[in-house]
Amino acid sequence: MISQGLIIQSLISGILMGGIYAAMGVGFSLTWGVMKVINLSHCAFGVVSAYIGYWLLKNFGVDPLLSLIVIVPMLFVIGAGVYELLIKRIQHSKDITVSSMLLCFGLGILIENLMLYAWSASPRVMNTRYTGESFFVGGISLSIPSVIGFILAMSCLAAIYFFLHKTYTGKAVQAVWQEREGSALVGINIDRVSMITFGLAIASAGVGGVCMAFMYSFYPSLHNVWLLFMFLVVIVGGVGSVVGTAAGGLILGIVMGLSGALISYQWVNAIVFVLLIIILLIKPQGLFKV
Amino acid sequence: MKKEKMEKMVAPFLAILVFATVFSGCISEKPQETPKEMEEKKEPILIGGSLPLTGKFADTAVWIKRGYEYWAEEINAKGGLLGRPVKLIIYDDESDKTKAANYLEKAITVDKVDLLLGGYPGTACTAQMPIAEKYKMVYNSMGGHMYSFEQGYKYCFGGPPLMGQWWADGFWGFIGTLPADQRPKKAAILTMNNVIGEACRESIVNGCKKYGIEIVVDDRYDLPLADATPLVSKAKESGADVLFANGFFADGVLTMRACKSLDYNPKAIFQSIGCIIPEWISELGEDGNYVFSGTAMHNKLPFEGIDKLNKVAQERWGIDAPQYFLFGYCWMQVLQKGVEGAGSLDQDAIANYLRTHTISTIGGDFKFDERGLPEPYMYCTQVINGEVELIYPLNVRTAEPVYPKPEWKKK
Repeated sequence: MISQGLIIQSLISGILMGGIYAAMGVGFSLTWGVMKVINLSHCAFGVVSAYIGYWLLKNFGVDPLLSLIVIVPMLFVIGAGVYELLIKRIQHSKDITVSSMLLCFGLGILIENLMLYAWSASPRVMNTRYTGESFFVGGISLSIPSVIGFILAMSCLAAIYFFLHKTYTGKAVQAVWQEREGSALVGINIDRVSMITFGLAIASAGVGGVCMAFMYSFYPSLHNVWLLFMFLVVIVGGVGSVVGTAAGGLILGIVMGLSGALISYQWVNAIVFVLLIIILLIKPQGLFKV
Repeated sequence: MKKEKMEKMVAPFLAILVFATVFSGCISEKPQETPKEMEEKKEPILIGGSLPLTGKFADTAVWIKRGYEYWAEEINAKGGLLGRPVKLIIYDDESDKTKAANYLEKAITVDKVDLLLGGYPGTACTAQMPIAEKYKMVYNSMGGHMYSFEQGYKYCFGGPPLMGQWWADGFWGFIGTLPADQRPKKAAILTMNNVIGEACRESIVNGCKKYGIEIVVDDRYDLPLADATPLVSKAKESGADVLFANGFFADGVLTMRACKSLDYNPKAIFQSIGCIIPEWISELGEDGNYVFSGTAMHNKLPFEGIDKLNKVAQERWGIDAPQYFLFGYCWMQVLQKGVEGAGSLDQDAIANYLRTHTISTIGGDFKFDERGLPEPYMYCTQVINGEVELIYPLNVRTAEPVYPKPEWKKK
């Protein structure tokens, strides 16, 4: 007999996990939606961010949350640079989506090998003073790192939503997304908007990477595993939709959490992918349209 | 007329061509060297294979590689193997068993190695063993659990093996030393869904049956494990007082954190794999303490050569010799003893020597059976104050076990 406590515990844990996946996935969704670029190196930047946070913590005692003050702007600049040097050059290719997948796949491998060189293949664990700590609410345990990661993730999603809907540049991004040529006609600098979008996406990968590192040990090739979850989150939620990505992440977390509680855990992945198929059959564009 | 003239010209031309070909063949072909001549010329003995130097198994493979390399360095400093220096060719199979098989075949057919290196992990070895068998070359490695040694291979050895089916035997030996009323009563087994998990699970289940421990949770999960909370919640709710975290390092970290977060305090936690590598302690800190595991090798074993390797590891890396450094060295040592005993690089002679003699190594004495396995054995370890201590058998114990496990320290 499965207890109510077990179900609620698994559900809460799944929601916290799902929120963090959403933070990692929102940038991936943005570049896909706005620029038609499938950035397969997105999660590699997330792992880089985890390593930077880890390095600052181990060597200087800087809390990972504070390290974001350095990580976010740094990754924004790197993202903008990657756009200028690489992505911009394939913008006019026959099939930007395929070209971007190949280019970014190679970039991901390069980043992975740079991480291997810098930090070796040994797994790392973010061990802050609150790692492993939790508090109980009505018998339900809330892991402090997971809660912090979730709050950070939701803040990141909210910030990106605010940027897209309440700022001039953000509205320009949406305009390019919806009508590229029309945007150019009204004077929007497509290149500049694309560069900002890409930079923002990589910066959000930085936030996502730190959030993921609160929960998981990490090593250079882990980005390939995280990428699988990103595809799930973005496809379920709807490409290009911030709200959709948040919903996709939460749904994924809830399904995984509840499945783990109600049935044998080995069926969790099967259920997740069956759900994905069902959602795509009913709503091929994802749950939320841009 | 013209045709006849042509024919007359062709014949001498062809004769010159044939003569030139034969003549150049005669002068350019090197005479075949005999093994003695090669030894005198000090041609290196090539030893080849692959390891997962990148990818998810790289953290362990890096230590195996260091063990192989130190063995090579040491034997070359002593004059080599059969008087010849050894040279290692180690490909990176990227933690992919298909690549592991391909690289081993490449080492044999392209590099024409004289001897083979064992791979890692068990899935790679399982893929490589038939390749070694096909080319009739001795292959000493951890093996791929019992299945891999039941294929009738004549050239494959586990010296020592990492045998999942023996994995928890050391832990059960320790449990057997406890008074019956102190032993756990209910077990939760969380198993990664792969061949290694299944192999280790056999020894866990057998021990539960032997000691009358009820298995109240027996769940499997696919890798990568996304969230250990539902699994650990089930274990806690079911009242299990021994938890078998039958996974790798990454899952183990998630499981330990979930145990602490949920304030789940079983009498004992057994982590199958990952808690005896240095990163378990360096990365998890205090939260990694008191976890039991099994191993076929340890840097505190009382066998000849262990102390020396500990000194080497201290000098080079500031730590005592990690288990997989010792494994790597031991696997090469078995191969070395086989070659020296056979007195040649003849693979049949090496295999025959290994099967008919007791091989003394840093891992103990091995007497291989027809499957290529030594007598079943497994040590029980426990992480105590950041050190991996030997707990069982009693004659190798290095520290008093901490049982039951203390409750999690909250800040």
